[in-house]
Amino acid sequence: MILEGRGISSGKAEGTALVLEEAFSFLGGVDPSSGKLTIDCHDESISGRILVFPMGRGSTVGSYVMLDLKIGGNSPLAIINTLAEPIVATGAVMAKIPMVDGIDISLIRTGDHVRVDADSGKIEIPNLKPVHVVTSILRNQQRVLILQRSDNVGSCQGMWAGISGYLEIGETAEQAAFREVSEEAGIDDPRLVRWGDPIAVRNEERVWIVHPFLFEVEKREIVTDWEHVDSAWISPIELRDYPAVPGLDEVFRRLNLL
Amino acid sequence: MKLKSLNPELMPLNSMPAAKGYYYIPPFWGPMFLTRHEERILDGEEGLGQQKAMEILTALGKIFDAEKLIPINSAHLSGVSYKTIGEGGLQFLDSLKGEAQVRVKTTLNPAGMDLERWRDMGVNPHFADRQIAIIDSYRSLGVQTCCTCTPYLHHNVPRLGEHVAWAESNALSFVNSVIGARTNREGGPGALAAAIIGKTPLYGLHLEENRHPSVIVEADIGDDMLSHSLLGQVVGKKLGNAVPYFRGIDPDIDRLKTMAAAMAAAGAIALFHVEGVTPMDLEYELNDLERIEVDFSDIEEAKESLTSGKEPDLIALGCPHLSEVEMREIATLLETRERKRDIEVWFCTNRRVKELCPREVATLEKFGKVVCDTCMVVAPIEDHHECTGTNSAKACNYLPGLCSQKVVCDTTKGLLELIS
Repeated sequence: MILEGRGISSGKAEGTALVLEEAFSFLGGVDPSSGKLTIDCHDESISGRILVFPMGRGSTVGSYVMLDLKIGGNSPLAIINTLAEPIVATGAVMAKIPMVDGIDISLIRTGDHVRVDADSGKIEIPNLKPVHVVTSILRNQQRVLILQRSDNVGSCQGMWAGISGYLEIGETAEQAAFREVSEEAGIDDPRLVRWGDPIAVRNEERVWIVHPFLFEVEKREIVTDWEHVDSAWISPIELRDYPAVPGLDEVFRRLNLL
Repeated sequence: MKLKSLNPELMPLNSMPAAKGYYYIPPFWGPMFLTRHEERILDGEEGLGQQKAMEILTALGKIFDAEKLIPINSAHLSGVSYKTIGEGGLQFLDSLKGEAQVRVKTTLNPAGMDLERWRDMGVNPHFADRQIAIIDSYRSLGVQTCCTCTPYLHHNVPRLGEHVAWAESNALSFVNSVIGARTNREGGPGALAAAIIGKTPLYGLHLEENRHPSVIVEADIGDDMLSHSLLGQVVGKKLGNAVPYFRGIDPDIDRLKTMAAAMAAAGAIALFHVEGVTPMDLEYELNDLERIEVDFSDIEEAKESLTSGKEPDLIALGCPHLSEVEMREIATLLETRERKRDIEVWFCTNRRVKELCPREVATLEKFGKVVCDTCMVVAPIEDHHECTGTNSAKACNYLPGLCSQKVVCDTTKGLLELIS
């Protein structure tokens, strides 16, 4: 899968990702003489890795620490940020470390093999495959339908979800949404209210590109198929009380339900 | 719908795009316009040094969504002390040797030692050797090697409305606020890149709309230097990043410089206004602004919160560097006194000021060292000292972290009474 961002410091690199979930400071965050992380919970070295973190923070001396790492041969091969800030960006340029930002780093896991092309601003994770799915929310009188997934479905068993399914070949997301509502809820004439920008969710070696749809229905009777074991009509705010599939809250937000 | 580019400096960390995911919509960035000449520099046609500098500027321009580069008239660089930039910084500067020259007047921040009397300061010879190499590298790039954090008093004085690229938080705040020149908070490498190209990305405080006051500060405080420094501390800590508009004070140049320094160290304030004092070249709307009050009790509280030690083994004045006026004031205080206690004392200033007041220097040298080119924050004082007394809130912010010091925060008079 290719993710498009923005080149900050030019160059290309390929290697194994190390993902940090917090903003990172090179000053204090890493031992410049070894490349070992000094922050909690990480017994890892950034040396020779594709270093992935949301953004830089802290002292401007951090730029010079990156130079020290480079001189000692302990620098990362490349840097991927959600959003670049000046300290890491200038350090990357000075130390000739390729750097890309504007990447949704939630899609990258430590251990992923990553190709970084900072000249074009793109990164590639060859083992990662994007899969397009739709998630439809049915609404009736300000309440929305969520369904509990059965133990027989391929993923997220037991969790609460919208009406979801893969896009079939040759099908648009909208067509898939109507089809799934018919198959999984037995409703053939829902009224499409709106759709939201797709969201990307990482699940093992796949990235689900989830296309959110909102339908208004006239009655609350539904006929579920084997994919679901339970259903509930909830006020959108009650979603937090249900163990839901990853990203369902964001689906609600993109449909202006939250 | 896509988000407009986010400015990371203005964005609190907890509202950052979540690392765990699916909330993030990539921002939309407009392209930065480069002239054909700038493109050629970026492609390396004018040499490696200029290419590297242009790469830094375009990276910064992208981050801040700048529309283009604009010419600057001067630059001031941080990143001078070997203690902060280390071997990596030195090698980077060496890599530019013979490859680049600064195109505008460019001055330098304090180094890690007095370049002439470093032995007196107890600096080890290896450190001194590397420090001198750093200064030589900057000199070879055409940088004036005055080594001061107050170049705006003598060496490098911008004019009202001029665009400049300055690093060193006290200096850039002073030239923005007191002089009315325009600069962003540059880091050392960004300012050096701007000096080499003679341009800086157009964003932030270069734009008029970002220079308006954002909060009114009603101050009721004492007239002494320390009170003004602590006023900066209180406001910087409270506001973080803002453009304060002060009322109720009538500071002179030295009080303005210590305020600027403290505000930039305790917070990230790069521009402030003082009613009736700083230039009001633009029309500012003050109605409807939020107001805060700072009074004597806030000043006292700040002083206590910055004090962590009791018995200083080093007293260091001159953060920012002492001006001629301050040298005279201190000399007047000490003239009639005798040195009583053997505590190391540094009066930190720049070489120009030292030359301008030889009589005062002679008086001060009876009590301590008039130290040039450096200060207590960037010199390796932790090798010899554990507790530093200072009258600067800025120094109080940095001494514990950068120099492992306990700190005594007091007035100039209070500190000098410890030794005389």
